[in-house]
Amino acid sequence: MCKFLILPLPARLVLVKSLWLSLCCGWSLVVGVSAQSNGPDYQDILAGFADPERWLTYSGDYSGIRHSPLTLINPDNVSQLRPVWTFQTGTTTRGRGFEATPLVDDGVLYVTGSNNYAWAIDARSGRAFWTYRRNLPDDLTYGASAPVNRGFGMLGNQLFMVTLDAFLMAIDRRNGVVLWECKLADYQTGYAATMAPLVLDDRVIVGISGGEYRTRGFIDAYDPQSGERLWRFNTIPGPGEPGSETWPDDPDVLAAGGGGTWMNGSYDSELNLLYWGIGNPNPDYFGDSRPGDNLYSNSLVALNPDNGELQWYYQFTPHDINDWDSNHMPVLADIHWQGAPRKVVMVGNRNGFFYVLDRVTGELLLGKPFTATTWAREIGNDGRPVILNDGSQGCLPDPWGSTNFMPPTFYPGLDLFILTARETCATFVPEEPANIPGQANFGGTVLIDFERSSGALRALDVHTGEMVWEFAYPSPSFGGVTSTAAGLVFAGDHEGNFMAFDATTGENLWHYQTGSRIWGAAAMTFLLDGKQMVLIPSGTTLTAFALQN
Amino acid sequence: MRIPGLIATITLIVLAGSSTAQNVNPLEGDVRAIQGGAALFRSQCATCHGADARGISTIESPDLTLMWSESQRSASEVYDIIRDGVPGSIMPPNGLGETELWMLVAYLQDAGGRGVVNMPPGDPERGIVLFAEHCAECHQAKGKGGALGPHLNQITRRRSLESLISSVRQPAASMSIGFKTVSVQTTNDQLIDGVLKSEDAFSLLLMDRQQNLRGFAKADLRQINRLPDSLMPVFDPSRLSDSELFDIFNFLEQP
Repeated sequence: MCKFLILPLPARLVLVKSLWLSLCCGWSLVVGVSAQSNGPDYQDILAGFADPERWLTYSGDYSGIRHSPLTLINPDNVSQLRPVWTFQTGTTTRGRGFEATPLVDDGVLYVTGSNNYAWAIDARSGRAFWTYRRNLPDDLTYGASAPVNRGFGMLGNQLFMVTLDAFLMAIDRRNGVVLWECKLADYQTGYAATMAPLVLDDRVIVGISGGEYRTRGFIDAYDPQSGERLWRFNTIPGPGEPGSETWPDDPDVLAAGGGGTWMNGSYDSELNLLYWGIGNPNPDYFGDSRPGDNLYSNSLVALNPDNGELQWYYQFTPHDINDWDSNHMPVLADIHWQGAPRKVVMVGNRNGFFYVLDRVTGELLLGKPFTATTWAREIGNDGRPVILNDGSQGCLPDPWGSTNFMPPTFYPGLDLFILTARETCATFVPEEPANIPGQANFGGTVLIDFERSSGALRALDVHTGEMVWEFAYPSPSFGGVTSTAAGLVFAGDHEGNFMAFDATTGENLWHYQTGSRIWGAAAMTFLLDGKQMVLIPSGTTLTAFALQN
Repeated sequence: MRIPGLIATITLIVLAGSSTAQNVNPLEGDVRAIQGGAALFRSQCATCHGADARGISTIESPDLTLMWSESQRSASEVYDIIRDGVPGSIMPPNGLGETELWMLVAYLQDAGGRGVVNMPPGDPERGIVLFAEHCAECHQAKGKGGALGPHLNQITRRRSLESLISSVRQPAASMSIGFKTVSVQTTNDQLIDGVLKSEDAFSLLLMDRQQNLRGFAKADLRQINRLPDSLMPVFDPSRLSDSELFDIFNFLEQP
């Protein structure tokens, strides 16, 4: 399944070394003593925000809290934030542009764009060192309708990127050359890959897209050097496997049950547990062909990253018929819960509820709506939602949800979970689908009442789920959220504004019109030459900000 | 949905007329093809283009019912777009067969073709004069007129007679996005009303009654009022009789 496009790394190093010795031994001594970076290792990624000049994984660290310790930009001076440079992709992508979070190491940004472009960019000038573009087949399926990518994973000199034709690739970060590629699934069936790989010690964790087609989701682990697959967790069980009792006794239904895994997950190194959100069952809106809870769709799963074994799960939306994928960043924090320290995982869900779970056991601690919702009133004592209506009567969260994959942030100390909230109203009209492989298989349609939609940035008290503050947007946004220890929150909206807020009060302190909606992306920040930089992707541009001198 | 059986029947019709590349949809107006195309549309297209094919403004997907009149697409062009997708956009190529593609085109032709079916008689020459007198200050037709209201090019091919009469007699009943009435008061107590063109958390863009495009920072506005009435006056029969209205529609109907 895997193909080395140039020699495997160890052999290549030997070859290069022997060439140096035979051709240019005198000069090689000089080069040899200069400090050559071998790139970040696992310990560097594990250290998270400890080195403020780096941002090495999608959320900045494994916890997914997206909260930088940098304080040079603060509420008093944030109004002096100005663009330093803008990078333009030079590609055209209507509707969906940058959704990635750039990684940064040693003054170089590594970022992926739509249509499987990727770049290494000088963080000082905004100029590209190299550009990568994958030759994609012209019969993409899911990848054609959502030609996006959410970023690189990184380890040593390797960058890891997934593709719209459902491959995992390793790219040399120094020149953009593909080292190896490995097929994840058959894109012609409906699969694609769009998420940012999560790199652990000796494995690369990836997920898959395509839950709108007749696909079966999975989470995979790959060897970073060889691309060999180490394990696969199927999000929809096989016949007779645990969880299959929540589906019809029909192998064909299970084999096409959906359950995509198209967002990055989070990782607790002490518990050695991986947390990952699972997407909708297929068909999306037509549930009659799949009676039952349809595990592990719309769930959060905790996996042992050594072997992919399931440790626990919690299903947010049993038997989903509204396309409310649970592909959100699971946010890990250690907080005082009712007076005692507790390791929790928090999720702001597309179904309109904010959840706090014990991340050791999966026990539900809190489930409370953060938007208007008519599908469920509350979460019962059994951990299941108390269902009110099935969507045919209108005014549920629409299929894009009360929030979506745009990352939220957790502000430690204030104990605020800050997320983009979407107030929407939709009526679902299910219809038996044709079930044709390689074709979208929604199973009905949706009527959205655009007159009754709006958005907001909302801060929730994680202990109660109550809203502490909000900032209203005129339309439902897809922008992500990032916070810093200076008491700032950065967020983007659907109208293209990139904004800074006071984390305590929600007061808007600064904004900049980027010229295109901020969709799925959230800001990242790092230190460069002693200055704090803030970056936001928007449309097909990436803009860097710093304080005006 | 039992599309395969329907396709088998309709395929014969398509194949019989498909010896060469065609500009005419062999299934245009075929009720079964329109129904099958509608089902295909709901399952394959509606997520982006809306259940009624009128587009979804928040994701900038186009209103496909306007494709025939505004973009003046031919049936074969639409067929090619559905089959090949739109390069550089998120509209993907499609693996549907020839019959299914024509069924989709038939549905879209049906959905887009709901203009005035039986135009009442009227005098288009007199319609020119009446349009200039009552409408042209705010509406554009055939390259002339104002911009405060929607342009009326080919409006009789896009809207039914009932809908056109309603929008003249009761303009506030349905105001399109881009033409909703807004009134703002600036911090230096200027009052400006017009139609709302765009808005975000920090700014508001409108066209004022004098048809100037004006942008405001919300921080510079003391008040923003969204008004239920249209800026278009109510034209009741005492102001514009039915026969005068039909004169205008007949003028607008002319190519």
